[in-house]
Amino acid sequence: MHFISKNEKETLAFAEKFAKKLKGGEMIGLTGDLGAGKTVFVKGLAKGLGIKENIQSPTFLLMKVYKINLRSKMSDVRSLVHIDAYRLSRGEELTDIGVMDWLGKKDTVTVIEWIENVPGIFNENKIIKIKIDFGEEKEGRILEIK
Amino acid sequence: MLILGIETSCDETSMALVREEEGKLEVKKNIVSSQIKIHSKYGGVVPEVAARKHVETIFSILEEFVEDRKKIDVVSVASGPGLITSLLVGAEVARTISYVWGKPLISVNHVVSHIYANWLKEKTPSPNPSPQGRGIIEFPALCLVVSGGHTELVLMDNFGKFKVIGRTLDDAAGECFDKCAKILGLGYPGGPAISAYADKLKVKSEKLKVELPRPMINTPDFNFSFSGLKTAVLYKVRDLGKKSFGESVRREMAFEIEEAITEVLVSKTIKAAKKYKVKTIMLAGGVSANKNLRKKMGEAIKVELPNTGYQIPDIQYCTDNAAMTAAAGYFYAKTGKFTPWEKLKVDPNWEL
Repeated sequence: MHFISKNEKETLAFAEKFAKKLKGGEMIGLTGDLGAGKTVFVKGLAKGLGIKENIQSPTFLLMKVYKINLRSKMSDVRSLVHIDAYRLSRGEELTDIGVMDWLGKKDTVTVIEWIENVPGIFNENKIIKIKIDFGEEKEGRILEIK
Repeated sequence: MLILGIETSCDETSMALVREEEGKLEVKKNIVSSQIKIHSKYGGVVPEVAARKHVETIFSILEEFVEDRKKIDVVSVASGPGLITSLLVGAEVARTISYVWGKPLISVNHVVSHIYANWLKEKTPSPNPSPQGRGIIEFPALCLVVSGGHTELVLMDNFGKFKVIGRTLDDAAGECFDKCAKILGLGYPGGPAISAYADKLKVKSEKLKVELPRPMINTPDFNFSFSGLKTAVLYKVRDLGKKSFGESVRREMAFEIEEAITEVLVSKTIKAAKKYKVKTIMLAGGVSANKNLRKKMGEAIKVELPNTGYQIPDIQYCTDNAAMTAAAGYFYAKTGKFTPWEKLKVDPNWEL
């Protein structure tokens, strides 16, 4: 499916709505060039899951974990794992740093930016793939979801 | 007091010895993984990304400190914020040393450690010393902590009294340098690469063809945003097209990127310094090694806040290192903030 976004605000709103469908246990792989808006998508996703904290880019630290308040009735998801493979070039680098210990839990949603940089470590069939391309309008984006 | 510092919060594995005498802190030894060759039995030279394999790196560094074990008084370890798996390595080593060598243990905050690098004796003489004298840091002080992973304005009312009054809402300043450099096809790390390219621009007074935004420069808060600057650079490169994107435009872009980032950082720092009436302004973190940021901040302070002191850490203690962790350990120890080894915990999201 496709979604055409005119600007950052629309991408945020789309991601927030997308988050409501998540039940926990999902893995989302985000691809798209620098500046495409991957972290913007995650900001919307976090808001939709009931996370109040501001989502900063995890490029430097590679992984950030956000806990979702138990009282939040927005969904059954209890934590969001935000991974950024921008600085990596092999799948093993992610396993080397021990990130895998934090994945696969039923109440956790995992989102991985630059998933194409770490091939071969995630089960391709279980990943929701979202590709963000630049649209025709200056600030426009096309989101393709598989 | 002789303090052993251990720092593994992100990419760098580092250990250091800092001696305190009459309140003065002197670095005796400081080993950072990216600067050394690791013994071949642990896997040879550590490349940039694999440096995260702290487990392999830390033992060859630890060997260099075994001879000092009798003289060490306390062990200080950075236990957050950072990458949890990296933090755990430093914490386990610190815990073991504390137990086996019988040394008191101190758990320190990584961001606070960056700030305390300003108290190391090996510091850059201040271009605008405090009216009380060179090297004297008077409170309240304001520190701009800028690196690849952090961009924070921290108010320091006294030793151990910190408050974050502003931070980036998305990308860190150092990350912005890195990603803009990538878009321009320059090297890594992006900060030094962009600076070197900006320096090649000969006529700087002329009106440039490239103009970039100064994100959030006029907002009333003390927060930052650098993600949009990266996107603006991307749009400029795209609009210019391959044909007109030659060397001279690239130099202009590099210059303007550095201008945009440093201008926002300086402007917000000065504004915060005025509001909180601070007596000293400090820099810390990897991006504080940036020559133009150091210079611009100094000039702005001289003009706008001539009675405010200005302190910057020595270049080698800007990026992640354990000397700063040891320095922080001294100040924690002074107030008796020890952690029994059984109770040491890492906190990847440790907020000040």
